[in-house]
Amino acid sequence: MNRREVLQRVAALMGGALTIPAFAAPEAYAKATAADWKPSVLDKEQFALVSRIVDLMLPRTGTPGALDVGVPAFIDTMLKAVCSRAAREHYLQGLRDFDTAAQAQHGKPFLKLEAAQQKALIQRQQEAAIADEHSAAAQKQKDLWQEVRSTKMLEQRTKAEGPGRKRSFILTTKELALLGFFTSEPGATQVLQYVAIPGAYHGCVPVNQAGNGKRWAT
Amino acid sequence: MEKNSFDAIVVGTGISGGWAAKELTEKGLKTLVLDRGRMVRHGEYPTTTDDPWKLPYGNRATAHDLDRQAKQARTGYAIAQESKHWFVDDIDNPYEEKYRFDWIRGYHVGGRSIMWGRQSYRWSEMDFEANAKDGVAVDWPIRYADVAPWYDYVETFIGVSGQNEGLAQLPDGKFLPPMELNCVEQEFQRKLKDKFGRALTIGRAAHLTGPLTHNESPQRSTCRYRNLCIRGCPFGAYFSSNSSTLPAAQKTGNMTLVPNAIVYELIYDDKKGKATGVRVLDAETGAQTEYFAKVIFLCASAFGSTHIMLNSLSSRFPNGFGNDSGELGCNIMDHHFLAGASASVEGFDDRYYSGRRPNGFYIPRYRNLGKEKRDYLRGFGYQGGASRAGWSGLEYADEIGDDLKKKAQAPGPWNIGMTAFGEILPHHDNRVSLDRGKKDKFGLPILSFDARLRDNELRMRKDMINDAAEMLESAGYRDVRVMDGEYGIGLGIHEMGTARMGRDAKTSVLNSWNQVHACKNVFVTDGACMTSSACQNPSLTYMALTARAVGHAVEELKRQNI
Repeated sequence: MNRREVLQRVAALMGGALTIPAFAAPEAYAKATAADWKPSVLDKEQFALVSRIVDLMLPRTGTPGALDVGVPAFIDTMLKAVCSRAAREHYLQGLRDFDTAAQAQHGKPFLKLEAAQQKALIQRQQEAAIADEHSAAAQKQKDLWQEVRSTKMLEQRTKAEGPGRKRSFILTTKELALLGFFTSEPGATQVLQYVAIPGAYHGCVPVNQAGNGKRWAT
Repeated sequence: MEKNSFDAIVVGTGISGGWAAKELTEKGLKTLVLDRGRMVRHGEYPTTTDDPWKLPYGNRATAHDLDRQAKQARTGYAIAQESKHWFVDDIDNPYEEKYRFDWIRGYHVGGRSIMWGRQSYRWSEMDFEANAKDGVAVDWPIRYADVAPWYDYVETFIGVSGQNEGLAQLPDGKFLPPMELNCVEQEFQRKLKDKFGRALTIGRAAHLTGPLTHNESPQRSTCRYRNLCIRGCPFGAYFSSNSSTLPAAQKTGNMTLVPNAIVYELIYDDKKGKATGVRVLDAETGAQTEYFAKVIFLCASAFGSTHIMLNSLSSRFPNGFGNDSGELGCNIMDHHFLAGASASVEGFDDRYYSGRRPNGFYIPRYRNLGKEKRDYLRGFGYQGGASRAGWSGLEYADEIGDDLKKKAQAPGPWNIGMTAFGEILPHHDNRVSLDRGKKDKFGLPILSFDARLRDNELRMRKDMINDAAEMLESAGYRDVRVMDGEYGIGLGIHEMGTARMGRDAKTSVLNSWNQVHACKNVFVTDGACMTSSACQNPSLTYMALTARAVGHAVEELKRQNI
């Protein structure tokens, strides 16, 4: 279980009372738009591929999109500074496999596909990855239920943090895109809603009276 | 020598030390207050006003952070860009662990009063009687009535928001207005009452939900519901030493606060039969200094205070200061947690909340009350909450593109979850000792922990998980998910014991006034003093015991008994 998973599980357990701190991101945004900025982990093609994927995931619509807030640069920064070496290698291997899948299915690299083909490939890959994670989670639940219901005493689980299950390339990209996007000022304030200092807490109000009724960014 | 002499010395500025400083100085004692970490004045909270986009790395820990703070990172939340500076560097501050042991802490003025969870519950008569009734460890030398007026006093000064419920197992207090439960929590509260006869109440939290009833803390104001407490609160809305007790002590003119002062030893005078002072290492220069006083309060945290005592050897105390009983370092306790359940809630789609409540609900202990006898002793309380999902986890949405953005814009589904906090019995063999063969960068021997959950806790854990699932299912919630998280003792950050109070000097380290049995001018009033752990968050009790102990110390000084 990695730190992120611990955090999510604790948050889930607290019903979200322990807010997963959403704050973040980047000075990297400023750098991303600067002409002299160069990715440090991803090479040019990889950067272009990640950029295309996150653009399809969170496009500019009536509001800014992933590219507007520098998500590709954010992902490159995360790969460099936040990921362990093993996680970084896993991601890069996943990226290569992703492009290989495009080749295998369409005879072309991902970036040369039609937009509809690109979207469909992302959808297929993410569907498989989500199903995979859901089934692993379901199995864990089943095992734990069994243990809890058995007459055997529980064991103390002391495994400290360590390499957990490695997330797929497509879901890592989506996770980081969401993180970079919704912790950016446009993502938090234009797509979602954000209030730095609420001043009061109202526990049970109609949605349209909770600020502007959109999901809170934090 | 003269300039290093005071009436009193307080070691540590966390929740207990801040209270000792306030009480001693307000009673007119010239008091030296030492902290091993850097100075932090109220308001000096570097990330406190950062918007999400100001924090690098999406607020996550970098690989480098995790290298430096691997043990602190076991919390899952401490090592983030917003808060990592409040937690120690594990490479510079090592300890040994036979079984996984989580010693989560920060070295700075204010200590963990900056990052604490702020949940503030009284212990009940039942908790102080428990050891005697069960024949476990030793009896507490005090009862609820001894502490009750001090709970009143402490709650009034720090400000605790909450709801009185009239429960024997969770005594009422002097509360500021309660925070609100949200729609789902209100419904769950009704269902629990109807189906199980169990209480659910809003967390009792040391936040100002209204004005304090005194004028002694003008630097504090009401909660703004940012829920960024772990960064330090510029409004002084929650209690910390920095926002509350240390300014009070400062105001008296009687406090000399010295940061970067690592107390590594008590000075014992064999002829006087007293401790005369402390030896200090400057964390920045390595310079050694001795300070002297008539009375010494150890408030360096459970293991911090015990470390100092274990390291204070003399011909009178060859096995550690005040350790005639052999119990110093023994009986480590915490609250074991990360055992509970969560579920999805249907309905309430048209309801939301505004503001970020830095608090959740609390289900007070209901097991082993009255005649009930489970296959374990004692019990647990639950802390939890309901909320609508934020954007985190949206990677599981099937959508991408415009559809994903639309989905993200609408409030997410409701979830509810809770984890129990369970009592850990004092077990002699759950212990900490000095490893004299291993030194930290200051040349001080490091602590070595040997503690694990025993059968009583592991049996309790099943109820902690099962009951949570049962309550959520009975309430009609869907997709109930159970949880049994990875836990090392200490992760609850409620560490207690290692210098317990007791009636008998042969079996305990401290007496009923938190005085070292064998050296009455040394008081230990942090978590080290605890004789049992109950299942309630312990900080409020440390504060009450500290204020009570200072009252006694000052009386005894007047009577020239110490």
